[in-house]
Amino acid sequence: MTGRIGAAVSRIDARKKVMGEARYAADFAVPNPLYAHLVTSTIGRGAITGIDESEARTVPGLREIFSHANPLGLEPDGMFSTGGHAQQGWEPFAGPDVRFYGETVAMVVADDILAAREAAKRLRVAYSAEAPAAVFGAEGLEPEELPDMALSSGDLDAAMEAAAERVEVEYDTAANTHNAMELFATTAVWSGKDLTLYVPSQWVEGFRAGVASELGIAPERVRIVSPYVGGGFGGKGSLYTFTPMVAAAARRLNRPVKLYVTREQGFTTASYRAETQQSVRLGARADGRFTGFEHKGRELSSRPDTYVVNGADKTARMYHADAVRTGVTCVHADRQTPGFMRAPAETPYYFALESAVDELARRLEMDPVELRRRNDIDAEPVNGVPYTSRSLMECYDMAGEAFGWRDYDPAVGSMRDGDWLVGWGCATAAYPTQMAPCAVRVHFDRTGRARVMVASHDLGTGAYTVIAQAAAEGLGLEVDRVEVELGDSRLPPGTIAGGSISTASNVSVIQIACERIMQRLGTTPERIDVAAVFDAFGQGAIEEYAEWAPRGSRPNARGGLYGAEVGIVGGPEEEYTAFAFGAEYAEVRINRWTREIRVPRLYGAFAAGRIMNEKTATSQYLGGMIWGLGHALQEKTEIDPRTGAVMNDNISEYIVPVNADVMDVRAMMVPEEDTLVNPAGIKGIGEIGIVGTAAAIANAVHHATGIRVRHVPIRVEDLIGTG
Amino acid sequence: MRPFSFQKPGSVEEAVAVVEPMGVAGQGGAFHAGGTTVIDLMKLHVLQPPSLTDLGGVLERGIEEGEDGTLRVGAGTTMAEAAEHPAFLRAPVLSEALWKAASAQLRNVATLGGNLLQRTRCPYFRDNVSACNKREPGSGCAAKDGINRLLAVLGTSESCIANYPGDWANALILFDAVLETRSGGGGREIAFGDLHVPPGEDPARETILGDDELITAIRLSVPEWASRSVYTKVRDRDSYAFALTSAAVALDLDGDTVREARLAIGGAATVPWRAREVEDWLAGRELTEDVAVEAGRRAFAGARGWGENDFKIPLGRDTVARGLMEAKAMTPRNSGDSQ
Amino acid sequence: MATDPRSAPPDLGISRRSLLKGTAASGASAFGAFQAGAQEAEAVPAGGPEVEVEITINGRPERFTLDARTTLLDLLRERLDLTGTKVGCNHGQCGACTVLVDGTRINSCLRLAATLDGAEVTTIEGLAEAGEMHPMQQAFIDNDGFQCGYCTPGQIMSAVGCVTEGHAGSEAEIREYMSGNLCRCGAYKGIVAAVVQARDETEARGAS
Repeated sequence: MTGRIGAAVSRIDARKKVMGEARYAADFAVPNPLYAHLVTSTIGRGAITGIDESEARTVPGLREIFSHANPLGLEPDGMFSTGGHAQQGWEPFAGPDVRFYGETVAMVVADDILAAREAAKRLRVAYSAEAPAAVFGAEGLEPEELPDMALSSGDLDAAMEAAAERVEVEYDTAANTHNAMELFATTAVWSGKDLTLYVPSQWVEGFRAGVASELGIAPERVRIVSPYVGGGFGGKGSLYTFTPMVAAAARRLNRPVKLYVTREQGFTTASYRAETQQSVRLGARADGRFTGFEHKGRELSSRPDTYVVNGADKTARMYHADAVRTGVTCVHADRQTPGFMRAPAETPYYFALESAVDELARRLEMDPVELRRRNDIDAEPVNGVPYTSRSLMECYDMAGEAFGWRDYDPAVGSMRDGDWLVGWGCATAAYPTQMAPCAVRVHFDRTGRARVMVASHDLGTGAYTVIAQAAAEGLGLEVDRVEVELGDSRLPPGTIAGGSISTASNVSVIQIACERIMQRLGTTPERIDVAAVFDAFGQGAIEEYAEWAPRGSRPNARGGLYGAEVGIVGGPEEEYTAFAFGAEYAEVRINRWTREIRVPRLYGAFAAGRIMNEKTATSQYLGGMIWGLGHALQEKTEIDPRTGAVMNDNISEYIVPVNADVMDVRAMMVPEEDTLVNPAGIKGIGEIGIVGTAAAIANAVHHATGIRVRHVPIRVEDLIGTG
Repeated sequence: MRPFSFQKPGSVEEAVAVVEPMGVAGQGGAFHAGGTTVIDLMKLHVLQPPSLTDLGGVLERGIEEGEDGTLRVGAGTTMAEAAEHPAFLRAPVLSEALWKAASAQLRNVATLGGNLLQRTRCPYFRDNVSACNKREPGSGCAAKDGINRLLAVLGTSESCIANYPGDWANALILFDAVLETRSGGGGREIAFGDLHVPPGEDPARETILGDDELITAIRLSVPEWASRSVYTKVRDRDSYAFALTSAAVALDLDGDTVREARLAIGGAATVPWRAREVEDWLAGRELTEDVAVEAGRRAFAGARGWGENDFKIPLGRDTVARGLMEAKAMTPRNSGDSQ
Repeated sequence: MATDPRSAPPDLGISRRSLLKGTAASGASAFGAFQAGAQEAEAVPAGGPEVEVEITINGRPERFTLDARTTLLDLLRERLDLTGTKVGCNHGQCGACTVLVDGTRINSCLRLAATLDGAEVTTIEGLAEAGEMHPMQQAFIDNDGFQCGYCTPGQIMSAVGCVTEGHAGSEAEIREYMSGNLCRCGAYKGIVAAVVQARDETEARGAS
């Protein structure tokens, strides 16, 4: 048998993708569509005082202009974190207020794409503008402390006092924008009272519920179709305002409507990773054992919505500490509401933690790997809850061996190579193992073909493939006999594709369905004779519908499946602590003259329970690490403090890694068996790769230059003299 | 994109004759060669020409080698073709400044003539909203106190700090190039160093070209010693990024002593920026690291930072020093046996 | 190339009006509707003037009457339902829309269809022959040269162009010459391996 669990099989959707046949949201041909185009605000705070449509209306083919003056009658569904499904808590057309630069103020609809773009450009919107407070440091920000999210254990002040060495420093991280390659888009088609929406989605169930609620119709009237997603990274996990707008416009105009959100508009009408300011206090005894750890974050959000990622809730669980204290403050600003972006909490906060550990290792004159080894733990330090499994040091050992860490000379500048300053650094990667309730339908017939149906999503994660592998394993089939249907809200409810939860959840429920099928057929995957068992069964096909809810779910969580509940559990829980771990080593080369930082080697080893598919898993890890490279050295959404405008709202000046930046990047897998975390023994792998990368690189930059950069991205100007 | 009439002339003469007639206040017709700048800016509505005159098939394409290192380059030659031409490979700065620019796809269509006229990436110019004297004369300059990390520190004025974003022009300017142009009024020749105009009081005027004037060919003279030449480009990622700073360097060395140096600076200036005073200063000196550093200092002596881009001054100095030292370290290829 | 329309030097002494008169009779083979007097009443023509072109797409010649503003990308996607070519930025910054024009890789988002009269365009849908994958397509599968797959058609077309241009000599060269195709999933390692794998067979076939 080939292609079962663990095998490095090629993606089952690969042929469609390389042939150009995979249809992403904007690729679905619909009959006779109208085209919509957004108009976004050019002030950062204030109100619309007038909309002059006269010039736009001269564009032949212009159908309608929607705005607060001609609203679409949508009701806000509510923000994700308050139990809704939307990324923000308000409707842009509810009134004339402008809450941030680049907010949708109008949507034009025209007969063709050229006319829609042109009319949008010709719409004249007048404003009364006020000075926005859009960035840290601006006047008029509103900090909101969130004490319910804080952790405290032990006497932190005493613990810090007891330390032989301590680090008390501030770290900043920049705003980032997902910039998935696929543009945001929505196509809406009504058939009588039934609506079909083609929209890139990491959560078709939630989008269906959210759209229905905003339109005031029953969820069963709405179908969300998103079989292929051109990169998610968290950016397609909650409902954006333009999707229900397009649906409502299509209803109003009685024609299908198709919208492309431009790359520029994607920087402001969708979500992003907000800036953080963090303070870290970390103390250690002379032997390296941590005494106290305090981690506090300040995170920007919009005026109306409270959104924080609160990564200190995770960093606090990483190492031994006699005392721990965390805190988080949401700083309300004249900005769009931020949202999930690959390892939302961990990416910024582990940059701080893992930089601080490196700084402390320097003070202790201790090898940074050894320092982590001395603080390795079996149970998280806040409540003493044991890990289901933790292979952190095995990761350090495997990656360190491949990297050649034994040759590490800690002296700053010791590895210079001609005109190049060379430095090595390392950091811990970790990501909470999370899961959520989900359902599946498995259809199996006498010809030996199976079909697995679940409203889950493949964002490039390999979900199609690993789901087929799980079913192949459970039914005793070759993987190419399994067909998988995803990304359609008509399918049995799946999980949101976020928090690296999909594979663990899907495989757990598929195992249940397949076991039941085997029971009903009176066979096992090992000895199944398909034709014979079906003949004995008396039917040509069998179907099983199964549900699963992870340990730690609320009572009756399975019922929530039919109400688009998120239901994510895992990470630090009352009964268990579940994380995947990894270790990353970076080598940087910095030109001694011009100080560009290049990363010739980036090695990571990861332990994440059972690996479903070595090939796709490797790609997931590598992709995460390359995101980390961008986070460390390149990515910054540049906001003009005077206006709140994003000044690099394109994918040329918003720098992301290109092929030339990616040299020797390796991902290794540490075998790990975890029988406690979930029945499938699987931990999520989609996000861990980015965690810690920035710190590993920053630590290497310090090793090469002696300059400790406490913010990301680290760019040329951080290393260049000003004299 | 604003509607426009599309014109497909059969020759350069026709092109310069038809480019202008739809002209209305402030916006004449535009030429279209590779289109990588003009279509981009038309999509942003920064350019709204009422007519577009396509030069496909009418521009001279290819590089002719004359005697004594003279080259005649058709303005329609693509960046990709030129980057690999043996004559350019013999003076690596000419090739390197091309293949280190843009992407393979863009270089396959962008022409050398158009490349010289590449427009700034200043975000306040491109956003079509902010005060920008280049786009909307008299409206002011939002960049001076804004997000100006990528903008110029050399050749700026209170009216404009937009940088010239191109690379190849900085190499070309080393070689006393002459442009051949055509317009409705006939042909003329322009010293390439005179083509671009620093912003001064009138940033909207970027070149001395007339509205209907078309660059048709570029002539340059490449000395054999320019085989010792480099284009040192510093950028935020290893490829497909605009220069933060760059240095185009060609050196004629006698041992370690500079017979003649040619130096231009990119990324940091409002126009292609040849540093002739530094060239003169270098002549006759032994090129040590200290001399290279001093050359960098002198090259940026008149520079002015605008906040976020202050770092370009020390970075630019170091880019010049690095370029000089890298050129010195080269083993120049023998011009006789290049492929 | 765009000359700055505002940069008219006074010394050239050419007036727009004289040119207008001079060229009205020149018989330039303008594709567009040439309405010399129109600008007096209305600054900009309200609708887009149309052009006619014949373009061979994936081996099939076809005549189109198009608004002159139509990019090749919009023509492929919105009119011909050839949605394998993806839109990622519309400004030549990402490479998702890469196709071959007369065998050369270009960004279709920056290319007006009006400029392609007589050209041959190959898209991802035209790369396979009789349903059999091009070796580059197979190599992307073998090396997991993608995750989400959105940039993949552009990567593959670009990879074919990269090889036929002769820029696939080493991994470093491939990385440089494939840098015009962003992959946000970070599948670059697999992409480079795919180009190496398919290089010889692609060379043997030639572009498209």
